Amino acid sequence: MTEWFDLNEADEKAIGAFMSRVANLRIPDPESRIPDSAQLWCKAKLLARWDAERRAQRPLDIMQPIEIAGGLVAAGVLLYLSFLA
Amino acid sequence: MGRLDEAAFAAFHAGTSRALRAYVYRVVGNPSDADDIVQEAFLRMLRADVPTDDEEHLRRYLYRVASNLIVDRWRHRRHEQGEDVMPEQVSARPRYEDDAAVAKVFGELKSRDRALLWLAYVEGESHEEIASSLGVGRRGVKVMLFRARRRLRDLLQARGLLVNS
Repeated sequence: MTEWFDLNEADEKAIGAFMSRVANLRIPDPESRIPDSAQLWCKAKLLARWDAERRAQRPLDIMQPIEIAGGLVAAGVLLYLSFLA
Repeated sequence: MGRLDEAAFAAFHAGTSRALRAYVYRVVGNPSDADDIVQEAFLRMLRADVPTDDEEHLRRYLYRVASNLIVDRWRHRRHEQGEDVMPEQVSARPRYEDDAAVAKVFGELKSRDRALLWLAYVEGESHEEIASSLGVGRRGVKVMLFRARRRLRDLLQARGLLVNS
């Protein structure tokens, strides 16, 4: 049970009564558009798989421009050396 | 310690989604935003793969995620509009007997106060549970909740609604 800082008893009762009115207010659109549990489960699994794929792909994505840059530098060096020879 | 499987999640969802939606709707004041937040909260809970199948623990986690999403939304709205009130709020003097007026008075509180009051009075949570649901310290909750109750009392007083029933 929650212990309170002090408000007087009358105020406390009034707040309690008001909050019980709030609790019983109608919530509009009870048949909401929230997907059911099976849809949520599938969507979460799908998103988790995409996350895993993205994580697995990340090192390749990082390495790709480095490989290209390395190739270009190597080609430049070879070209330079061939000119010297 | 287990993890949630699909069947357990279905049971958990059936037992929590209505109450969570009521909480979120009453705090954000918009059914469409409430639906988005509830859906996102469930998805984040599933994707986090919380290492437990204890329902109470999962419920706390779910409410904390939903509360964080509500806070994100407050910040976004405040940044956009500079306000923190329910969309349907109007300044007409309400009558306590009228449901719409009760909703309007509640909507005049700050979102954080609505969340605190809902969790304390409707969900019947202790300070510790509220702290866990909102992701804040227990001592902070005591003070924040006291202030929220005082603000509600002042609001009811200002509107001449502070009557005991």
